Parts: sequence; structure tokens; C-alpha cells
Amino acid sequence: MNENKTFLGYDFVKGFIKENPTFALAVGMCPTLAVTTSLVNGFWMGVAVIFVLTFSNVFVSLLRKFIPDEIRIPVFIILIATPVVIVELVMKAYLPAMYDILGIFVPLIVVNCIIIHRAEAFAYRNRVLNSAMDALGSGMAFTLNLMVIGAIREFLGTGQIAFGSAVFPKAPLFEPAAVMLTPPGGFITLGVLMALLNIAVARVSKRKTTQSQSG
Amino acid sequence: MKDKLLVTPPPHVKSPKAVQGIMLDVVIALLPAAIAGAVLFGFRSLLIILASVASAVASEAIYQKAVKKQVTVNDFSAVITGLLMALTLPPDVPVWMPVIGSAFAIVIAKQVFGGLGYNFVNPALAARAFLLAAWPLHMTRDWLNPMTYEALSTATPLVGFNVTGQSGLTLTQMLLGQRPGSIGETCILALLLGGVYLIARDVIDYRIPVGYLGTLAVGTWIFGKPGALFQGDPLSGILLGGAFIGAFFMATDYVTSPVTPRGRLFMGIGAGLITLMIRLWGGYPEGVTYAILFMNLVTPLIDRYVVPRYYGSGHDAVARKAAGGETR
Amino acid sequence: MEILGMILAGVLINNFVFMQYLGLCPFLGVSKGLDMATGMSGAVIFVMTVASTVTAALEQFILKPLELEYLRTIAYILVIASFVQLVEIFMKKTLPGLYQALGIYLPLITTNCAVLGAAMLNVTKSYGIALGTLNGFAGAVGWSLAIIIFAGIRERWKLMDIPATLDGFPLALISTGLMSLAFLGFSGLFGNLLK
Repeated sequence: MNENKTFLGYDFVKGFIKENPTFALAVGMCPTLAVTTSLVNGFWMGVAVIFVLTFSNVFVSLLRKFIPDEIRIPVFIILIATPVVIVELVMKAYLPAMYDILGIFVPLIVVNCIIIHRAEAFAYRNRVLNSAMDALGSGMAFTLNLMVIGAIREFLGTGQIAFGSAVFPKAPLFEPAAVMLTPPGGFITLGVLMALLNIAVARVSKRKTTQSQSG
Repeated sequence: MKDKLLVTPPPHVKSPKAVQGIMLDVVIALLPAAIAGAVLFGFRSLLIILASVASAVASEAIYQKAVKKQVTVNDFSAVITGLLMALTLPPDVPVWMPVIGSAFAIVIAKQVFGGLGYNFVNPALAARAFLLAAWPLHMTRDWLNPMTYEALSTATPLVGFNVTGQSGLTLTQMLLGQRPGSIGETCILALLLGGVYLIARDVIDYRIPVGYLGTLAVGTWIFGKPGALFQGDPLSGILLGGAFIGAFFMATDYVTSPVTPRGRLFMGIGAGLITLMIRLWGGYPEGVTYAILFMNLVTPLIDRYVVPRYYGSGHDAVARKAAGGETR
Repeated sequence: MEILGMILAGVLINNFVFMQYLGLCPFLGVSKGLDMATGMSGAVIFVMTVASTVTAALEQFILKPLELEYLRTIAYILVIASFVQLVEIFMKKTLPGLYQALGIYLPLITTNCAVLGAAMLNVTKSYGIALGTLNGFAGAVGWSLAIIIFAGIRERWKLMDIPATLDGFPLALISTGLMSLAFLGFSGLFGNLLK
């Protein structure tokens, strides 16, 4: 166990770019595709994941010196399943409609690779505050990803984006392509997004290397 | 070199000239169906064909320019994709649909995998399935009456045939294509002309269309009449719908169909069975698109497990290795 | 008829990968070669079928009578995780041959959300133990079909020259999209016979 006493702000920020759950690590693919038929669905799924991730990261980090190495995975699973049950109960009580839409993907947060990945790769080796920052960063980045993918699919698939009672644009500008709300649309959207992001990253790094060479 | 005559799955390296020759043959073979479509369904269908081909060629050129590859639009493969896609569309769809469809076919189904020879599904069919999922109403309602060019809001004769087992059309009507349907699917004579040309020129293998249409005919004969076995109308089963254009021009695509003779027969029979299944018991009136797409998906497996039998055992391992990469 | 319909539905119509977004991580990760894909498939079929039986029994005999349904998620995942562990130990001791073939895939299965997903679907659709088991088996066969098809396609990519920006997940996802387009054709199949 090597204790990294890194800068807190970095632990938060790295989840957005360098260790982005979807685009850099490619973990948690199932919910990323399953619930992103609209911006709002993506948002609530993301909120649930932020809660579970923060809870599990904090407790894994708190207990890291007491958890025997051999049985750490089962212990992680319990530390993850507990907040998932809390989320399920709270959501069922206060957001029953959203709970129905997200369906089995709420309990399935328990096997979401992001959470066990952060527990294993970060919280188990780092201090509580850093682990909390790591969880918030990764969780918010995940939420942002879901919202962006959800917004794209919702816009192309229904012609509009709705958040609460706010709808934009008021009337669809084109004939919406229903395929975007189906699995093929989801897979292809995410694949194309990842490719575009890779191209953008490659362009930036290329520019950097040419600059450093010339400078 | 004993491996010289080995039959291997794609990707193949072919000389550009050979590719161009084959593709030109396919374009020639498709022309009768395209002309028949333009005559039967009028100016609109011609517009759709032109928009589709233009979009396919432009998409290919723009993509290849953007990724700094050699622009290969002169190999005619994009023209074929655009043409095939247009021929499977209802004649009264809005013109932006073939434009989007062809762009999808070229970029998403073909070029991202490295272009001609590397795609694993037939681009035109993938695009058709995409359009059907995206705008289902246009794809199932925008029919025109042949020759009168009147819009028709009812379903095509195939829908009724699937339910009742009777086509309500004469053989001449079916052969000449005098029925509502997709632009290039209705005129069987034109399709047959093109198909026979391709077989005669050795561009396609007769096993795929024969296996496909044969299976569909036998299946329709057995199950085509509701409530009774062995009383279906096999001829209408293959003449209505898109089975002919699918069997001759889509399922025979080099890149996405098996390489061995037995594998090709499997491809035809499999596509026939799935088409029948979707038509009679499925959620869609026509299953040709999905049947061929599904067989495209299993083509690598067919190529791997249906290898030609060689004299002696050592060759088999060589063929497997060539067919599927190294086995660990 | 119901049995046949359920298997068809699980394999083709409601395919876990292409229609329900379940088990995507191993689908994308372990599909690079056919040998790996078939090995993983064997392990998944076995674990998912038995896990469906066990979780359905747990639901019927413990959670429901004691009104502990709200603990379902914890209970299920613990049962599945320990079951996978048990299988691993048992297989190592008694079936070393099978263990050699499937063993390395077993630890990966705990995080295959298709296993827990199948168990959860059984509850939402209130299948009992028998139908739940069948549903789990059908789902696993469908998942296996998907990964074997994909592995066959991917093996050809070894010979291809794919730009770095598309290699890996972007291309894998686009391919999955194209595959699920083909599987759309099965939607509604036997709809009137099954209901």
C-alpha cells in the first residue's frame, strides 16, 4: 500500500479527462447506453452513481487498513451494495416514475465497473479526503457523460430536449429519427463520440509535440 | 507453394483494375432494375436514385479526403451502394432520406472499418435497416401506384400475402413489377436479367440466389397458407417483396458472404429461412434486409467452420489458420 | 411452446447485448478471439443458469416470506459472488480439465452485470424458479451467441489497418450498433404465438 498524498484538486479534476470513466477507462458501459435515451434519465442515473461512489470510496478508504487483502473484493461488494440499497429505497419513495424508467439499472449500479474500479484502484490506497474527491470527480464526470450522450440521443430521437418543464426547441426542427432511442442508435452514437474525441485528443497532442519541437 | 489455391476470407488485396471491372459489371446489371423503377414509379424514383448515388459518392470522397486516404470513388463501389440503397426504398420517401442513408452506409458501415473489403455488413442493407428504424412510417407507407404515380396509403401486396397466402396479382403483373413496392424490387424480369448477367460473367455464385429463393419457395409452399400445410403459393412468395433483389444483389456481396461453395449455400438457405420466419411470424412485413444482415454477421463463423475438405489433413489446419487468424 | 418461446425470446428477440444493454463490459473486452469468447460463453451459461435458480429460490423461500425484499440487491450480489467462488474451488478440485478451460473467466463473471441483470429481470417479471432458470439460461445463450458472432468478426480485424483513433472501443461500439440493427429484425417475432 503506497499512500499518495496528492493534491486534492487534482484528484477531483482527473476524473473528467485523464481518467474519464466512459471515454478514457471505458467502464460502466451498460448504464451509459441503457439510460441515455434522454438528458433527464442520464442526470438521475448520474446522481445515483455519485452517491454510491462517494459512499463506497469513503468507507473503503476509512477501512482500508482493516480489510484483509484476500477478501477485499467481497468487502468492497458489501460496501457498494449498501448505498445502492439506500438509493433504491429513496428513489422508489421520492422519484417513483424515474425509478421505473431506470428499472433494473438502479440495482445494477452494484456491479458497475466504475465503482469497484475506483475502490480497487484508488480508495483502497488513498486517504479519505482524496478518495472522496476522487469519487466526486469520477461521479460528476460520469454524470456529465450520461447527460451529454442523453441530450444528443434525445435531440436526434425526439427533436427536442426536455429538462423538467423546460423544452428546447419548442417545436421539432426536423423529423426525429426514432432509431436514436433504440440500442443501435445508442451504440453508434457512443462509438462515434469516442472516435471524435480520440481525433480531437490526437490533434491536440500532435500540436503540442510540434510546438515543443520547434520551441 | 501448396497454399496458392487456398480460398480465404476477406480482406483480399485485389488490383484496383480488377475491382473496377467487377463493380462496373454490377452497375450494368443493376441498370435494368433502376430503369424499370424509374418507368414504373416515375420522376420521383429517379430523383431518389440520383440523390442516393450522389450522396454515396460524395460521402466516400469527403471521408477519404478528411482522413487523408487515397480517394477511391472511381472504383464504382460507392455508386453501387448508393444505387442499391435507393432501389430498396419506397418511391415516395422524402429526398433527404436516401441522402442520409447513403452517408450512413458509406461512413458508418464501410469506411470506418477501412473501406471496401473490410466492412462486415452490406452497407446498403445496414443503411436500409437504419432508415427503417429511424423513420418507420416513411419506410412502410410512402408507396406509389405503378404507372399512375398516385400516392398509396395502404400496405404493399406482400403484407396481404403474408396474412392470407394469396397475392391477388397475375404472374405477368408480378414479373413486370406492376405492383406497389420499393423502387427496384418489383420488376422481376429486370432483376433476373441483371442476375443472370452477373452469373454468366462469373461475378456472383449461383448458389446464394438459388439457395435463398429455393428455401423461401419451399418454405412458403409449406407454411404460406394460414391454417393449412403444403398449400402455400411458392411463386408469389419469391416474386413479391424484396427477395429477388436481395438474393441476387445483396446476399452475393463478395466481402460479406462466405468464400466456400458450401458456405455460400448455407448463406442462401439461412437467409431464406430467416426471411420466411420474419414474414410469417415476425414483427415486420418483410424480412429480406434483416435476414441478409444476420447472415453477414455469421459469415466469419461460416468461413471458419465450413472450410473446404482437402485431400489430407494438414491442409485443414492451414485453411483454418488463414480463415480465422492464429488459434491459441 | 412457452419453453421454446422463452428460449427464442432470450436468444434472439430480447438479446441481452443487442437489445437490453446487459453484459457489455465483457462483451467488448473478451471478444478479441474466438477461443476466449467460447470459453467465456461456457462459463457464463453455467453461472447464469445456476445463479438464476439460486436467486429465484432465495427470493421465494427467504426474502419474500420474511418481507426482506428491500435487501434484494445485497442478498443477490452476495449469493452470486460466493457462488462463483464456490464453483471456482469446486471445479479446481473435481474437474481440473474444465477448470483449465473456464477457470480464468470465472472471477470476471461476478462483475458481468448480465448475471445480476438476469436475476433482477426474473423478479420484475415474477417468474418462479423454473421459468427463472430457463430465462437465465436463454439469456446466457443469447449473450454467448452475441459474443461468438462478434469474436468471429473481430478476428478479421487483426489483418486490417485500422486508424488508431478508431481502434478499440469506438469501432467495437459502432460494430455492436450495426449488429443490433440486424437483430432489430427479430423484434416482435412470434408475438402472437407467445402471448
